[in-house]
Amino acid sequence: MIAYVLRRLALAIPTLFGIVVLVFLLLHLAPGSPASAVGSGESGRRVSAAAREEMRRLYGLDRPLPERFARWIGRVARLDLGDSFVDRRPVSARIREALPATLALNGLALFFTLAIGIPIGVAAGGRPEGPFDRTSAIVLFALYSMPVFWAALLLQTLLSVKLGWLPLYGVSSDPPPTGLAGVADRLAHLALPVTCLTYASLAFFARLVRAGVVEARSQDYVTAALARGVSRRGALWRHAFRNALLPLITLLGLLLPGLLSGSVIVERIFAWPGLGRLYFDSILSRDYPVVLGLSLIGAVATLAATLAADLAYAFADPRVREGS
Amino acid sequence: MIRRLPGSGRIALAVVLLLWIVAAVSPFFRGRAAEIRLGERLQPPSLVHPFGTDDLGRDLAARVVVATPISLAIGLVAAAMSLAVGFGVGGAAGYLGGAADVVLSRVIEVVLCFPVLFLLLALAAFLPPSPATVVLAIGLTTWPADARYARAEILKAKSLDYARAAKAAGATPARILLRHLLPNALPPLLVSAAFGVSWAILAEAALSFLGVGLPAPAASWGGILSAAPAYIEEAWWIALFPGLALFATVSAYNLLAEGLRQATTNPE
Repeated sequence: MIAYVLRRLALAIPTLFGIVVLVFLLLHLAPGSPASAVGSGESGRRVSAAAREEMRRLYGLDRPLPERFARWIGRVARLDLGDSFVDRRPVSARIREALPATLALNGLALFFTLAIGIPIGVAAGGRPEGPFDRTSAIVLFALYSMPVFWAALLLQTLLSVKLGWLPLYGVSSDPPPTGLAGVADRLAHLALPVTCLTYASLAFFARLVRAGVVEARSQDYVTAALARGVSRRGALWRHAFRNALLPLITLLGLLLPGLLSGSVIVERIFAWPGLGRLYFDSILSRDYPVVLGLSLIGAVATLAATLAADLAYAFADPRVREGS
Repeated sequence: MIRRLPGSGRIALAVVLLLWIVAAVSPFFRGRAAEIRLGERLQPPSLVHPFGTDDLGRDLAARVVVATPISLAIGLVAAAMSLAVGFGVGGAAGYLGGAADVVLSRVIEVVLCFPVLFLLLALAAFLPPSPATVVLAIGLTTWPADARYARAEILKAKSLDYARAAKAAGATPARILLRHLLPNALPPLLVSAAFGVSWAILAEAALSFLGVGLPAPAASWGGILSAAPAYIEEAWWIALFPGLALFATVSAYNLLAEGLRQATTNPE
């Protein structure tokens, strides 16, 4: 097991280095940097002389490439992401402020993705081509093809504007009610953004669970369990699903970038003060330190999540950690 | 190939063809789509304006029709670019193997770590605004999925008897790749392409919705939708119809891809 963990960690090092390099390349695309000195005639996308000067100072853009790169690596190694151009505060402080809102949104979305996606996938895969499988396939397919911003607009129109059941956007009412009413108010504000963030990953995940269960249920150990007199339900959940679950663990890490992508759109539409909105606002205001910092953190978090998922997989499946 | 498509795939193919026909006749609606009539602003759907009018009194139905070729073409070109990069990198990794495979696989993994929309927004917003930028941004961010797929396909095909026989017969690597591996990788390539187009259309719509897509006045469906949040309380039709066109198109391409996959994997 320890050998496996070490090997897996060693494999992550070049990827981590690659991430740092890619963000460095991104920096050179930014207007005001050497790579984009030419082109861009539109005034809205030009940067002020002050910002250009700031970029030069911060990233040493007037230095030769190797020195610039060394400087960048040095900053990353010291976990120094610089200060925001917009309000002069450290990037890390701005990210820390926006993090809880995004964690709440994505945590709930992830929870509902699993809580709804797994039973649907198992029920559909338990009887392939049965009525439930056929119906759920159509619904999941429709959800999968539905652009998230369109779904958000329709839900807002129907549930907020026409029926008045849920608030249109924001985190809480102004002023926020206290006590139990305050909790209800918060939940009402969470409902639509969480729904929008959940449905797409739900469709994706339920289809994977279904495929895994369909494959597992035709295996000998399921037949053997049924022959021993295990109920159909028991064979499905305790035998087929548990084995189908294993490869899905490794996919959990890869759900993260998808959720973060969705967060940008959902937080924008619902005026949710999280990382997605911070990223989008920073793109528009050309706040490069925040853009680069968030890109770096998003990618590293994904790498960490994939790593954790792979280790969990090895922990759950002895064939992986002891095999070749 | 069409003969083998399941019923749903044939319907999807028909919808895709219909969309391209709409795109072909769309220039006739350009005049109406651009005509501003402030006296008729924000009118609900009626016989005169089947999809209603927008905040400038432009006919929404005409605007949705005129946006069709823009969304379709950007989707197609961006998907082609993503496929070319993805199959290039993934194919090379799978075919060359060894150190090249290790390096290229790391590159694929690095790009996969980034939330697609983060990279997409950065590229689209930092490069000069133009259709080429949108295509480039989508192509450069969505290729890793294609690359993984291509790598797996080539690895699988390489170990098959016909490829080994060709090698034993003394065929050059280029010949094996072009004459043997590529034709056999064509069906999965087609499936990838159909999924890729639906992905690219969605990505373009998201960029335009967020305001960093195509520069005005060229409006795709996503661009028309970007006006919807401001009028959500009074004009639901601005949100409904362009989105419906987008949804229909994305579903059709996805369904076509699914059908192609079934047609190519089940010989019966």
